Amino acid sequence: MSEAGTISILLAFAVCVYGAVASIVGAKTKNRDLIKSSENTAIAICVLLLIATLSLLHGLVNLDFSLKYVALNTSTDLPMIYRFTALWAGQAGSLLLWCLILSIYVAIVVYQNSRARKLMTPYVNATLFSVLIFFLILIAFVESPFEKLAFKAEEGRGLNPILQNAYMAIHPVTLYIGYVGLTIPFAFAMGALLSGRLNDDWIKLCRKWILFSWTFLTIGLLLGARWAYLELGWGGYWAWDPVENAAFMPWLTCTAFLHSIMIQEKRGMLKRWNMVLVTITFFLSIFGTFITRSGIISSVHSFAQSNIGPFFVAFIALILLFSFAMIFYRFDDLKTEARFDSIISRESAFIFNNLLFLGAAFTVFLGTIFPILTEALMGQKVLVGPPYFNRVNVPIGLVLIFLMGVGPLVSWRKASKKNLINNFMYPVILGLSTSVVLVVLGMREVTAIISYSLCAFALTTVFSEFIKGTNVRASRGENYFKAFLKLVSRNKRRYGGYVVHIGVAIIVIGITSSSVFIDTKEATLNPGESFNIGSYTITYEAIHQYSNDAKNGTRADLVLYKNSDRIGYLHPEKNIYKYEGNREINQETEVALRSTFKDDLYIILSNFNEEGTATFRAFLNPMVSWIWAGGIVVLFGAIITMWPTPQLRPQQSFAKYGLGSKDEAVKVQ
Amino acid sequence: MLKGRLKFIIAISAIFISVGYLIFTGVSESGVYYLKIVELKEGVPSTYKQKVRVSGTVVEGSIISEVSGKLKFAITDGSDFINVKYSGIVPDIFRDGVEAVVEGSYNPDNSFDADLLLAKCPTKYESTDSIQRAEKTY
Repeated sequence: MSEAGTISILLAFAVCVYGAVASIVGAKTKNRDLIKSSENTAIAICVLLLIATLSLLHGLVNLDFSLKYVALNTSTDLPMIYRFTALWAGQAGSLLLWCLILSIYVAIVVYQNSRARKLMTPYVNATLFSVLIFFLILIAFVESPFEKLAFKAEEGRGLNPILQNAYMAIHPVTLYIGYVGLTIPFAFAMGALLSGRLNDDWIKLCRKWILFSWTFLTIGLLLGARWAYLELGWGGYWAWDPVENAAFMPWLTCTAFLHSIMIQEKRGMLKRWNMVLVTITFFLSIFGTFITRSGIISSVHSFAQSNIGPFFVAFIALILLFSFAMIFYRFDDLKTEARFDSIISRESAFIFNNLLFLGAAFTVFLGTIFPILTEALMGQKVLVGPPYFNRVNVPIGLVLIFLMGVGPLVSWRKASKKNLINNFMYPVILGLSTSVVLVVLGMREVTAIISYSLCAFALTTVFSEFIKGTNVRASRGENYFKAFLKLVSRNKRRYGGYVVHIGVAIIVIGITSSSVFIDTKEATLNPGESFNIGSYTITYEAIHQYSNDAKNGTRADLVLYKNSDRIGYLHPEKNIYKYEGNREINQETEVALRSTFKDDLYIILSNFNEEGTATFRAFLNPMVSWIWAGGIVVLFGAIITMWPTPQLRPQQSFAKYGLGSKDEAVKVQ
Repeated sequence: MLKGRLKFIIAISAIFISVGYLIFTGVSESGVYYLKIVELKEGVPSTYKQKVRVSGTVVEGSIISEVSGKLKFAITDGSDFINVKYSGIVPDIFRDGVEAVVEGSYNPDNSFDADLLLAKCPTKYESTDSIQRAEKTY
């Protein structure tokens, strides 16, 4: 089976090279047959990579220990579900999955493009094939997932137990789906630059891909945070580790890009800026893969240190050189069609949003590469930790929340005094009264007060948009429920976006509460003794040892009281895995967690001795659940924005069958 | 028109200056030297008062863990070592022979008060060293 995989990858590489060359030559010589033939290769590559992936899965499921990848990532005692997820537990498998996802996207894009070929189409396809070629080189010649061991191993090394978790099983795939998706807008941008078709066609064609990738990146980041929270046992969900930053940076610039393309579509402005932004976003997605996969920056997550680093450096240099050269070449054709009229306008709110997102991305980038930078410049490694990232990003984040409230209500071009007063009176009053109420209630933490007030402000503007829109429709005789549904379904992008904003505000409230008001306590207790945290009392009853096939566990019984009402038991654990391959983990901490919307009580068993004395560390994290709940709201909003419009409205179909060209038909929409 | 442009220039420069300021103060307040044990010792006495980050391999058998969560161990770079005192959350992979990263302050008696402890896997994640030959059992 593994031979089938090796051969498929090599064939996919050859076909992909042909596809890239044929697209370019076809476009240059205007040879339709060649362009068509290049388009057909997309399906072939996709099928070949599917065969390769299936044959690796076959090896993993049947524990073919003659393969290095299987021997390193599985073992005979590994449950079936984790034999599947071992596909992305190691480097070669992740890269294969990366190629498979990209090839599926490429096949979809190429098919969609072929139904309405434009001048830029073959160039878009060529860019897609070229990116795929790079990753195929890696799995075909550098890090083959089908590399054989010199001898068949007796037993595999097993999957790291902290990776044997439902969140870890889906979080990397979710991130990949988002990460890889960022290739598509980049390809369309390059297609536009190469073909010289520099109107906003490229944005219209890849808009849904941007939303799609952004959504998966967001969900992937949140799942990763939740995994860290549940599994790593240090009480937090975000540590500004290079691996986390790697995924966060493209998210920041992608968010900026999502907003700035609206300006280009609406006002024909920011054309150069959008080209730069899409390039930076793609660069950061490749750079993120590079730092997590090359081991160049030391991270708590120990990934493979391998020889793919130089390939990535070369690829990144190529991407940056090529795209900036192209932008420079078309610089004059990317002139803006309009000027900024006023600083108090929606355009300028978007500009500031963009500058701040990019500023945040830059500060995270700088903090992440700081050790490399200082070593190169001063010969001394200097590191910046979470205090740097928080100090820099919290103020930027707060201003962004403010803009999130301003953006939807301020008018285009130039906001009049009347517009400002009409739209912002209630939100400002609500924001300010939130501050006053919080101070009266005794809150003294300035950052938290500002954050909650800004969230109240932003939420009010969003809700007032829903109310106003519904009222307008209802005044025309629709009932309120129907008016609301129609309002959203007739303008999914706008109102879906507002739902995403609501989710973001909920997440920010959760982050603010859990980082500002965190309480932690450590207690060394004998059985029968208790300790308090917040309004909870925790009594240590007993500790037992138990044993099953996989592990020797130690489990503490804690009784939990809230304001002296007995709530129930909590059981933090410390486990030692029996299987040798898992011995890299000394003792695995199993967190005991009681989660409510008010607070999370998070307890770990730090240490214990034979006499039954044990040390517990408890965290009282307020409102952490809001972060996960907000994530669900964001997902819901994103689905609304992407939901397809079921049928063409009359005026659209009229335009489609009218005398106008295709491009005009698009404009009518 | 000119007045409008000026407003933009002011606003944008304000963003640049504040982000720059945040970066500068962030780096100067939380920047920590990442040293090898040799560099830590060569830098004496200026390294005594500073907050530094040091990495080294945990010396076999040096870990003394009290039930209260207090932890003592030594880390070495092969030729020299320091004694680390730490109290707090211990990473799951911490044990003899792993590469430990500690952050805190170094004292003249060769002890190190750490307030942060990180650990990295001793073997490269994808090394084949620990794979046993199948033939062995035959």
